[in-house]
Amino acid sequence: MESPRKQRWQQLQSVFEPGFKKMLLISVLLHLLVPILYYSPFFPKRAIEKPPVYRVNLVNKIVKNPQAGRPEAAPVKKKAVVKPQPKPQPKPEPKPVVIPKPIPPKPKPEPVKPKPKPPAPKPEPKPEPIKVKPQPKPEPKPAVSQAQENSLQQRLEQMRAAQERKASEQARKDKIAALKAAALAESNKITSPITDAPVGVLDGKGDEAGVSAVAYVQEFIQQQWSFAKYQAAGNPEAEVKMFYSAEGTLLHYKFEKKSGNNAFDESLTRAIVKSKQLDQTLPEAMEFHIFFNLKDMMDKP
Amino acid sequence: MTKSTITRLVVMLFALTLLASGCAKKPVAEEPAMMEAPAVEMQQEAPAVVVEESVTEMAPAYDAAAVAKAAELAAAKGLEMIHFDFDQYTLTEAAKATLVSNAGLLRAAPKVNVLIEGHCDERGSDEYNLALGEKRALATKNYLVSLGVSVGQLNVISYGEEMPIDPAHNVDAWAKNRRAAFKVKR
Amino acid sequence: MKYFKANLFIILILLFLGSTAFAARIEISAPGEQTIPLAMPRLVSMGVGSVQPAVAAEFQQVLQGDLELSGLFDLVNPASFLSDAQKLGLRRTDIDFQQWRILGAETLIKGGYSVSSGQVTVELRLFDVITQRLLTGRRYTGKLADIRKIAHTFADQILLSLTGEKGPFATKIAYISKRTGHKELYLMDVDGHQSKQMTNHRSIVLNPDFSPMRKELIFTSYSKDNPDLYRKEVYTGRESRLSLKQGLNIGGRYSPDGREIAITLSKDKNSEIYLIGTDGTIHKRLTNHYSIDVDPSWSPKGNKIAFVSDRRGNPNVFIVDIRTLEVSRLTYEGKYNVTPAWSPKGDKIAFSRMVDGVFNIFTIREDGTDERQLTFGSGSKEHPRWSPDGRFLIYSVDQSGGDKSIWVMRADGTGAKRISAPRSNDSHPAWSGRW
Repeated sequence: MESPRKQRWQQLQSVFEPGFKKMLLISVLLHLLVPILYYSPFFPKRAIEKPPVYRVNLVNKIVKNPQAGRPEAAPVKKKAVVKPQPKPQPKPEPKPVVIPKPIPPKPKPEPVKPKPKPPAPKPEPKPEPIKVKPQPKPEPKPAVSQAQENSLQQRLEQMRAAQERKASEQARKDKIAALKAAALAESNKITSPITDAPVGVLDGKGDEAGVSAVAYVQEFIQQQWSFAKYQAAGNPEAEVKMFYSAEGTLLHYKFEKKSGNNAFDESLTRAIVKSKQLDQTLPEAMEFHIFFNLKDMMDKP
Repeated sequence: MTKSTITRLVVMLFALTLLASGCAKKPVAEEPAMMEAPAVEMQQEAPAVVVEESVTEMAPAYDAAAVAKAAELAAAKGLEMIHFDFDQYTLTEAAKATLVSNAGLLRAAPKVNVLIEGHCDERGSDEYNLALGEKRALATKNYLVSLGVSVGQLNVISYGEEMPIDPAHNVDAWAKNRRAAFKVKR
Repeated sequence: MKYFKANLFIILILLFLGSTAFAARIEISAPGEQTIPLAMPRLVSMGVGSVQPAVAAEFQQVLQGDLELSGLFDLVNPASFLSDAQKLGLRRTDIDFQQWRILGAETLIKGGYSVSSGQVTVELRLFDVITQRLLTGRRYTGKLADIRKIAHTFADQILLSLTGEKGPFATKIAYISKRTGHKELYLMDVDGHQSKQMTNHRSIVLNPDFSPMRKELIFTSYSKDNPDLYRKEVYTGRESRLSLKQGLNIGGRYSPDGREIAITLSKDKNSEIYLIGTDGTIHKRLTNHYSIDVDPSWSPKGNKIAFVSDRRGNPNVFIVDIRTLEVSRLTYEGKYNVTPAWSPKGDKIAFSRMVDGVFNIFTIREDGTDERQLTFGSGSKEHPRWSPDGRFLIYSVDQSGGDKSIWVMRADGTGAKRISAPRSNDSHPAWSGRW
């Protein structure tokens, strides 16, 4: 069995030049050196290119070349829309000096809990057409707020009656609830520490008022993610790849790395499913490699 | 930081001297003789004990039974409680003076068994106070023994902060509750 | 052909690498919402037997209390519930998840009950609203009076499902109450309900502790004119004296394996910490110092004991290694640090510190770092004890007016909640293991 192999090996060896073995060895060693050097302390690895962490106001438009500014700044109002034209150039220049100083606000554990429906519904939260759905006539609104003011029992009875009468009534209520939830989410929006700051991103070099797709998606997905610190154990980390079409639709996603903490991974799945459709379109189809962890939630000693 | 350590050292030194001077082992020292005038001279050798004995035993007649009974009654009635400083079980001067008088009563009535109860005020942790109460009772017992009271007469128990005599929550009440009390057992 | 194949392969690899290289990297280092939105409609009658809204209401109240204490959830306002709330819907296909999603709920508890001849059956389901999956399902049967226990048990199950570790809600709290005029031992649920008097010594009963193994308690009582250590079986009520040495037999604490008891004895005229067997015989003396040594508390591994000593002047917490008897000091801040309680997770030691006559509860790591104050304000907070999972702390509060009560809070000091009834004069809680 072995002899033919040996023979072949000898044959092979005879073909090689005399110094071939040495060369081969050196070559192998040299090649090995590359990964060794790479993992050595001589090459400090930029482990995960950590993008700056800041909150983004999700009403801000996604643009391809965002200008320098603050992503959490309020969208420019109608008044401001007129202004940018005379002063587009002078503005970015003085501001960048001011802006870099305040450290980008990290997403602190905000105690704000967005109850889907506050007991006293805010009368007409800013009529912001987040969803493109046209606002239903103002007529049904008082009906809902009245119902809410009633006690639970009364409401349940009312509902039962209403359901039996009209299915469409139900659908309309659902829509209102959805709008309210969306409006409330909107009112939870981060506000900029600097008033009248231009909308943009901190390192923006472009000239469009708006935020980058990356900053937007980061904020969007973060807002969809619910996880309580009492669920956490250790420092779970997971990586997910998400592919979005230009329309802002999640085409598919893949867990590159699960954390091993079931509760954590499940909360991410929920966040991803909730992020199936972005509220805005993207400049192009995009892929995001997202690193989820709890560094800014778990308190450090 | 250094300041506080220095003050701590000073305080500890002070406490040490206090302890040394107040240590219950040699009651000889500066008992301000409540009963006796020549306290100063007595400091050397003669224990205060001896002097008191003569005082209490001189009074009654030699009817042994009657004497014993009277002494028992006197002990039952006359044993007074003593008080302590916060978180302390060393005897104060006032406490020692009281104990001198209690010792006299007890020596006169050797058949009377006494339970010394150590108590604390409500401040502080219960378990710690149970241990502290016991230390107080034991300090009291040791002092009485050093004054010539028979060990067999004395038992101790600690009630910690469980049995205040004044349930109020103020400085006066706390001062009253930090005590060693005497219960006569028949 | 071969070349073509190889080329294609290389091109594919390049494409793959290229595509990954172009993926925008994003780090999300905290969730946007730090609570899980939960909808909890009432139990629906399952049609068998009688309709008893009171059962559903009590169940709801107990479960809600537990879940609020957990700090995991943000409960969706029931006033906004839509039609699906009235449907039984125990199977995922029966549920209109869209309705719940509109309300912002991510998790949903559905349940039904039936009562017949004094027996109650409760079917419960926890659903993930977003992925429309069943997370956990349980069916409980018991006496009508067991409805609270059923709710606590399901709360434990919910925590298991959402955190990987069971909750402690179905356990018991032992405590001391003076409501009869004497300090006696009592038992109650984690939410303060179902309290039951366990002793009638008409003396002074102190410092209860649960056996981690058996349904058994130890405590100190003056019933026989000496602070002796007693053992009591919870269900039979059988009671015996375990340690009756002259002097103190106080602060008994079962070891994590239940085989030994750490205790303060003063048989040699000074309080020292000992290990005794469950038969009362002395196994080992752990401290040897003329100062006061009290309040032992076991490390969860059972190899160390935290205790209180005034060997450096003021009462402070020290740690003794059971094997080497080496003593190290834990607390340095403050002047009066007592009642240590080692977390069953092992990471922290809770204790109370007195400042200006008022106690508050702190935690500290075993190495003496990361000290944190958990309670604030007026009223002395003392005697912290951990829940068996280390999630919660139970403790007593002594208001300056004299009102003594038992409270529970999360391990980080949030969510503090009184569980004693008004004017009940309760103190010294101890948390049972998971029975």
